[in-house]
Amino acid sequence: MDPARPNSADSPLHEGSLISSAFQPFPVWLTALLQLNDTFYPTGAYAHSYGLEGLIAEGVVRDRDTLERFLNVSVVPGLRQLELPLVAHAWEGLHCGDWERLARLSVLASASRTPKEARAASEAIGRQRIELCARLRNAPLAVEFLRRAERGAWPFSAGIAAAVEARVLGAPVEAALSSVFYAAVAGTIAAAMKLLRLGQNGAQSLLTAMLALAPETMSQALHVSEAEIGWFNPWLDVAAARHETADARLFIS
Amino acid sequence: MSGIRGHLSLRAEAHPGGRTVIDEQSFSAPFHLSKPYWDGRVLIVQVVNPTAGVLSGDGLRSNIGVGRDAALLVTTPSATRVFQASGAPAQSEQRFAVSDGGWLDYLPEPLVPHRGSQFFQSTTIEASAHAELFYADLVMPGRLGRGEAWSWDRLVLALRLSVGGDLLLCERWDQSGAEAKGLATLAGREAGACFANLVVVSPRLKEAGVWTERIRGLHREGCWVGVSALRGNRGGWSVKMIAEDSIGLRAALAEVRESLAAELPRLRSLPRKF
Repeated sequence: MDPARPNSADSPLHEGSLISSAFQPFPVWLTALLQLNDTFYPTGAYAHSYGLEGLIAEGVVRDRDTLERFLNVSVVPGLRQLELPLVAHAWEGLHCGDWERLARLSVLASASRTPKEARAASEAIGRQRIELCARLRNAPLAVEFLRRAERGAWPFSAGIAAAVEARVLGAPVEAALSSVFYAAVAGTIAAAMKLLRLGQNGAQSLLTAMLALAPETMSQALHVSEAEIGWFNPWLDVAAARHETADARLFIS
Repeated sequence: MSGIRGHLSLRAEAHPGGRTVIDEQSFSAPFHLSKPYWDGRVLIVQVVNPTAGVLSGDGLRSNIGVGRDAALLVTTPSATRVFQASGAPAQSEQRFAVSDGGWLDYLPEPLVPHRGSQFFQSTTIEASAHAELFYADLVMPGRLGRGEAWSWDRLVLALRLSVGGDLLLCERWDQSGAEAKGLATLAGREAGACFANLVVVSPRLKEAGVWTERIRGLHREGCWVGVSALRGNRGGWSVKMIAEDSIGLRAALAEVRESLAAELPRLRSLPRKF
């Protein structure tokens, strides 16, 4: 072996190699978005089950099968008709600097969640996310949102916060929607792991199956007009309302 | 073929003697009004639809106002059937306005969406800061007597409530029968479930109390009941109920009204026996 020629395992990628030729300019928002969705990021979302604990207490969700059906018939339609359209409309409003629209959407996001706990959960997470965004990134847009929200007494919400984060990071709307879809589905499954007999592999296989629905769900969400935003599951709303006064509970919502 | 375009306009005002009277009214088919009746607490008005029900392409608009210190109960004598759509969906736009000191009790008989029906209902309620109201939407899953449930094509029930100019609630139920069946099946109610969406608003209800405990206590096997405060701390509450059949739903509705009656005595006025 020629000592003058280093082993290929030790050599850096040279110009024209397969990897370096395929390399595209890196979207700087991607790693930041990964950070925002990491359980390490202190949004407080881990403390909420978004009504799932109430449905489990009522015996509706009992195992992996009923959890999967709950995700399919309730969580995904709720994302499609309520949460994701809110994100998309807010993302667009921020792009245009349309603060009146942001004020309207903030109130709509709050008024669309009938159970008090669901509303409070979204509000707490939304406030925390925007405050973190302003603090960690010194982002003028987040600071401006906080200033206007304070002055106008706008309610915070997780969906609007996700739009602000995406705008601050320069992320496209599809990335913002993907992030919210992932957080909602993974958060529900993570909560279920603490409440049901659901192992790591079962949880990950379910998460994988649900994530396959993301592209179509997001595509449909982009066609929901502001006037059409809203969706509820009466059984979930009753369970969430009853959770407010439950004698024993693991989650805040 | 387009359906009927009907309108109802109604305004109740307090008479100097304490009674409420109809100050303005105007309606066209399929709306018809029965003779109003003062029961000592509220003025009871029955809105009658003399046709078989709501047909494809029908467009219904109603505008009901309650003036300062007036008390109005609006109801219907029978269920509203929505028939199979052969063309355009049927649409209903309802608007309510309640002034300070006014009381509105809206308690129609249930909506029954038939197989293949499409119905879009949009309800807007604007209440002044010191107004009070009780609003009910009752929905059957279909003609249960015929074994028909969750067979409608599309049902949209949009409800928007503002109090003192502040949006408290913006709900939208937009489901095909198949989607609703999916939810019901998960909850073990594939065969049918009857749903009531109630909203109550009063400055006297800013805090939870004995009445919230009583309503929560109605929850049992076969009848789900949940009560939760709406945003804004303006005394707005949502009560949702799901029962196995219409008899169970009626019984629970009567109990909810009785639970609230200590705070809102006009809820003891009933258009009929439950």
